[in-house]
Amino acid sequence: MESTPHSIGESVLRTGLADKVRGATRYTADLKRPGLLHGRILRSPHAHAHIVSIDTRAAERAPGVHAVLTHRDAPATRIDVDLAVLDSELRFVGDEVAAVAAESLAAAEDALELIQVRYELLPAVFDAEQALADGAPRVHPGGNLVGGERLLVQRGDAEAGLAAAARVFEGTFRTQVHAPVGMETRAALAEWERDRLTVWKTSRAVHTPDRATLARVLGVPPADVRVICTAMGGGFGNKDESRLAAITALLARKAGRPVRIEYSRAEEFIAGRNRQSTVNHLRIGVAADGAPTAIDLRSVMNAGAFVASGRNVVRRIGQGPLYLYACPNARYEGIPVYTNRPAGGSFRGLGAPLGHFALEVLVDQIAAALGIDPLDYRLRFGVPQSGQPGRRTTPPGELLPDEPVEGGVPFSSNGLRACLEAGAERIGWRERRLPNGTATGPRRRGLGVAMGIYKGGVGREAEAELRITPQGRLALSVGVVDVGQGSETILAQIAAEVLQVPAQRIEMTLADTAHTPPGHITAGSSTTFSSGHAVQVAAEAAKNRLLERAAALLGVSDAVLEGGRFVPRGQPGRSVSMDDVLHALPEPVLGRAALTPGSTDCLINAFSAHFAEVEVEPESGRIRIVRYVAAQDSGRIVNPRLATSQVSGAVLQFLGIALREELYLDERTGVTLNPSFLEHKSTAIVDFPAIEVVFPAGPEPLGPFGAKALGEPPVVPVFAAVANAVANATGAWLHEVPFTPRRLLEALRPQGGAQR
Amino acid sequence: MSQPDPTQLSLTIELDVNGRRHALQVEPRTTLLEVLRERLDLTGAKPACDRGECGACTVLLDEQPVNACHLLAVQAAGRPVVTVEGLSERPEFKPLLEAFVALDGGQCGYCTPGFAVATYAALRDDPEADEWALRWALVGHICRCNAYDAILAAVREAGVRLRRH
Repeated sequence: MESTPHSIGESVLRTGLADKVRGATRYTADLKRPGLLHGRILRSPHAHAHIVSIDTRAAERAPGVHAVLTHRDAPATRIDVDLAVLDSELRFVGDEVAAVAAESLAAAEDALELIQVRYELLPAVFDAEQALADGAPRVHPGGNLVGGERLLVQRGDAEAGLAAAARVFEGTFRTQVHAPVGMETRAALAEWERDRLTVWKTSRAVHTPDRATLARVLGVPPADVRVICTAMGGGFGNKDESRLAAITALLARKAGRPVRIEYSRAEEFIAGRNRQSTVNHLRIGVAADGAPTAIDLRSVMNAGAFVASGRNVVRRIGQGPLYLYACPNARYEGIPVYTNRPAGGSFRGLGAPLGHFALEVLVDQIAAALGIDPLDYRLRFGVPQSGQPGRRTTPPGELLPDEPVEGGVPFSSNGLRACLEAGAERIGWRERRLPNGTATGPRRRGLGVAMGIYKGGVGREAEAELRITPQGRLALSVGVVDVGQGSETILAQIAAEVLQVPAQRIEMTLADTAHTPPGHITAGSSTTFSSGHAVQVAAEAAKNRLLERAAALLGVSDAVLEGGRFVPRGQPGRSVSMDDVLHALPEPVLGRAALTPGSTDCLINAFSAHFAEVEVEPESGRIRIVRYVAAQDSGRIVNPRLATSQVSGAVLQFLGIALREELYLDERTGVTLNPSFLEHKSTAIVDFPAIEVVFPAGPEPLGPFGAKALGEPPVVPVFAAVANAVANATGAWLHEVPFTPRRLLEALRPQGGAQR
Repeated sequence: MSQPDPTQLSLTIELDVNGRRHALQVEPRTTLLEVLRERLDLTGAKPACDRGECGACTVLLDEQPVNACHLLAVQAAGRPVVTVEGLSERPEFKPLLEAFVALDGGQCGYCTPGFAVATYAALRDDPEADEWALRWALVGHICRCNAYDAILAAVREAGVRLRRH
């Protein structure tokens, strides 16, 4: 008998890659419609100002101009609590003032210069602590503390745990603004057909928020709004807002012609949504043997002018400190603050890399102070399979959260130890690591380790439809967006595994509200787990219908699918092929699923352990990455080649941030100083060695074919792994990302590490 | 206003793109990239940095890789321009394409045409180029997915296949 064709675990080729190489893939900015106009946005030159008057007459008369949009045209319905489509109050340098649609990009840009705006300048504030002080300028009427209250989550009693500790360690850790800046900038194309709107846009969620928000804000029934994302030129947790699309749609309505707007690179740096800067104060109490008795983190996050998904960002800063080490008492206080900096948003990993940076560097300091090898410390005190001490607070029978606080609940799978052991073995930790600060000479090598814990991908409402036709088509429809990470390939593999056909045979439709069931946002590394689950269930449902048909063809009561063919149950020998069964279908078969995967009994998280080897020049402050091993527990790996590329890319992306990427703001004016790839140096192909990626953990019992989250978990430990390797090389810990030569030289100075 | 209206200054140029001649009216300030994308609908060259910093808009001009965003259309007049679409028609592009697909030399794909054009030129100029020569040939290309390890593997494999070709 033929062996069963498998898709899971195979390095199936990435769907659509040949078209990408040939330049045939159409991204939003590549699209055209008859009569297309080009739009540009006028942006605020002031950090905080009120529009006293705005005169658009000259712009409207300019050659080629068809529409000018200002806050007077904006609907009263807001995009978010703190965000209007266009507002008379401007809250950062780069905030949207007006927009123009014209025959050409150049004509639209020329017209922007003809718009006369009179501004009343308002006092501005850029620092989060200052923004919290009494009498600080108010960025929003409700005050500068986002939502009016601090976020507080806790398990046990942190103060009691600190009081009972043999020693308490503490430190302050800072992170700067990180720009995701996908190579494709934000873009939208809007076209009205009478009262019906079609929007093509850069998107991570065409259904919700995009369609839902556009329908609500524009006052159009959702059924009359179609949102499509033809291809995404990089997501990275970013590009999730609808403001640009709303402006484009309003311009198109006013002009009576389709309009396309794409951001310039400078706009993407400034008005795209970057990761917020933070100041994190961490205290850890330990018993005499080093066991944590309390972990207590307070983070102040500079949210910028609008918070958007920043609420999730601030929550996620706390998750590593709350859950990565077994500890009865943990507390996290998160304080998101409005300022007149450009609006923050979400970027791969949200707050997790920030909280993990503080946690994993302080833990390294604890291990060093107690004379424990940092690998051993983590093996001993990292959170075990059985979870945290304490009591479950989620009522029995309810789905457990994927960012847990409570104790008393086990993980369904926990590959932390496997990752530590495999990574240590790979980099040669036991044989090669010297004590901290013992390296000498002008170039000093060091090894560092850091761990990570992250959401496993559960909890998103997911749907899938698999339509199988007598003509032999297997058409899978899912509402999510492949943002470039490869979910189009992965979801096809899951359906193919169920039906025992080659993955290439599954025809995929994603990211089009007219042709897919509702899909969740591509966020929280959830597509494989949540939508993958829906695909599996939908495919099983379709397969059951095929089995009925196959049984009828075979003249038996019950058939099974084996080796890619349908055979009578218990009677091998006779069989019919997939195509035989499909051609015999009297009508198309539809397999459907709508579910929210998760567990009432177990926590589902993804884990990582990363090992960095660095070479440090104490004289110049320069850090070079020599080797980097990323060990990931993402359950069973659906596609090893795609997974390896995703982990490698995640690590390289964050090594660039760790060592040099930082967006600078002039704090007198609020002007972003380096909004370009020349001045904000992005990682290039010569900068780092090849990342060594290993997947040492077993399958996730509750995941679709054993899989769990992969996209974000590998970014989580990167900053700390590098900082700890630098400390091993030099004896000095870095407390601020990025680790520029200046910061390293400052860290080396007090203890004379720069002496030759 | 003393400034002349730029829209009144259009010139007639002849562009030779992928072996086809196009007579076009363009303003002097119009970039080659804008003409390729908006007038000729050749969107394989991507706008990404607007100023020659990322390589996503790479095309061949006189068979040499250039940033189309950094060149005015009038500067390209009368000189052969080959975009990734045109390159894809050449038989020697096929091994390169197959290597990129086989070794997953791209994730979101937005920078990929630029990498492909630059790889084509690098391997044509030096079929024996070693790893570091290839890395330096591609240093001006940014991939924000940071798919560099897979891209490098694909580029090296493209070299192997082209030598066999």
